[in-house]
Amino acid sequence: MNKKSIFFKDSAFKYLVGGASMVVVGFFAMIFVMLAIRSYPSIVNDPLMVFGSTWDVNSGIFGGLPAIMGTLASSAIAVAFAIPISLGMSVFFTEYAPRRVRAALSVVIDIMATIPSVIFGIWGLWIIAPLVKNYVQEPIIGSIGFIPLFSGPAYGLSLFLASLVLTFMIVPIISSLTISLLSSTPAELREAMISLGATRWEVVRHVALPFSKLGIFAAIILALGRALGETMAVTMVIGNSFMWPFSSVSLFSPASTITSKIASELYEAVDMLHVSSLIELGLILLVITLTVNFSARLIITRISRRGATQ
Amino acid sequence: MATKLVTEKLSAWFGKKQVLKDVSIAFEERQVTALVGPSGCGKSTFIRCLNRMHELNPGARVDGKVFLDGLDIYGMDPMEVRRKIGMVFQKPNPFPNMSISDNVVAGIRLSGDARKSDLDEIVERTLKSVGLYDEVKEDLKRSGASLSGGQQQRLCIARALAMQPEVILMDEPTSSLDPASTSRIEELIRKLKSEITVIIITHNVGQAARISDKTAFLYLGELIEYNDTKAFFESPKSPITERYITGRFG
Repeated sequence: MNKKSIFFKDSAFKYLVGGASMVVVGFFAMIFVMLAIRSYPSIVNDPLMVFGSTWDVNSGIFGGLPAIMGTLASSAIAVAFAIPISLGMSVFFTEYAPRRVRAALSVVIDIMATIPSVIFGIWGLWIIAPLVKNYVQEPIIGSIGFIPLFSGPAYGLSLFLASLVLTFMIVPIISSLTISLLSSTPAELREAMISLGATRWEVVRHVALPFSKLGIFAAIILALGRALGETMAVTMVIGNSFMWPFSSVSLFSPASTITSKIASELYEAVDMLHVSSLIELGLILLVITLTVNFSARLIITRISRRGATQ
Repeated sequence: MATKLVTEKLSAWFGKKQVLKDVSIAFEERQVTALVGPSGCGKSTFIRCLNRMHELNPGARVDGKVFLDGLDIYGMDPMEVRRKIGMVFQKPNPFPNMSISDNVVAGIRLSGDARKSDLDEIVERTLKSVGLYDEVKEDLKRSGASLSGGQQQRLCIARALAMQPEVILMDEPTSSLDPASTSRIEELIRKLKSEITVIIITHNVGQAARISDKTAFLYLGELIEYNDTKAFFESPKSPITERYITGRFG
């Protein structure tokens, strides 16, 4: 083979792989441009209207704040629930579980991560909703229902239920990453701590968790991104009410998220401003997820750089 | 001379494989005992039985007895044993997420009853005893991982000493270090024996001859010879020992 043909082959390969990465960048740009163009009518009509609290199709008022807040609240609650569950499970998995339990648990985690979200929705609707209504909402409303955050009545479908279903969806994400981080803690650091008389828990606390903390933070952000964007399961269980948080701030009220709003209205929307307002909400969701991801990246590089220069 | 640590018919297994066979040794108080032998002869497993770390390996098993001041350590709380019998590893392993001073008191913090002012004093005293204080006193808050290899190993020795152990186990502590760092640590070990019982594994028979009072030779999991270092090197009783120390195998 002469030199020229090697060069040709090499550069052809370069263009092939380069082209593949351009496709990804191109798709992202297309999504962004599409959202911007389609939400343009709503933005020029009234740039601030989307941040209003009233959504009235007949009067042409499209304030999406309840959906934006619902998205942020359900994801934040889900992450807050998922962190202790995932960390607890990961620590149990890597430090305490016998080998057989570990094998079983790892299969369950993998399967949970692959369950389609519509299945989570059905499960939430039929199994979890009645349980939550009978064993969580009613007792809490009955005892501390005077606190607005926990006031009644106890519908099954609610912001709380959506957060709970999201929790189950993101636990496998955080757990599987945390497990691989904890188990990659260098043995010599574990042994150093053990040789000082540390208990298992002290080894986790002073060695494995500090060693893994940046990665765990990244896993949590990944899970937050998943929760913010989750559509199907949330639409099925959140109740799709635009009351929250303005008529009632209760976690047990039905609410809505950006994704549930778009999913439930886009195909019925005929008015151009209505469609455009829904798309603008989509644009806002994209901006939220990008902001979350970029700030997480920034924090991670800051911390790891500080670690390196210490 | 009093005996500090005694093993009686100590055997150890990894799964079905026996790596230590009926090793009985009496270690003398405030002496340096060197353990020598070819790779895979069971030296590391042996000292890891002395602070109950061998049993942490999955499938590991220990049989026989180990007495510290006459008390069987296998009847004691393993955490308590490890506080009394410290360990220094082959590769320096300071905690990278902790500062130099936090590394020194990492073990003391676990027990949780030391006051802040005490800790500062312990950091200074311990770092001085390993000859590291003057090198790092300006930046005790720096990460322990930022030190050179030799400094890191002295930091690890300080971390073990801060617990005020009665015995310190060292698993080839200088094998990853340059000659200058090695000789500093050898000097430190000779100094340590005024207060503490030292058991050190070494691959280097020269090092054993330089720093130890007694030397034990392990071969294929068995104790072949145990004697005063001088006698051990000058007139080995076993032909295997002689072949090993003259460098014909290992």
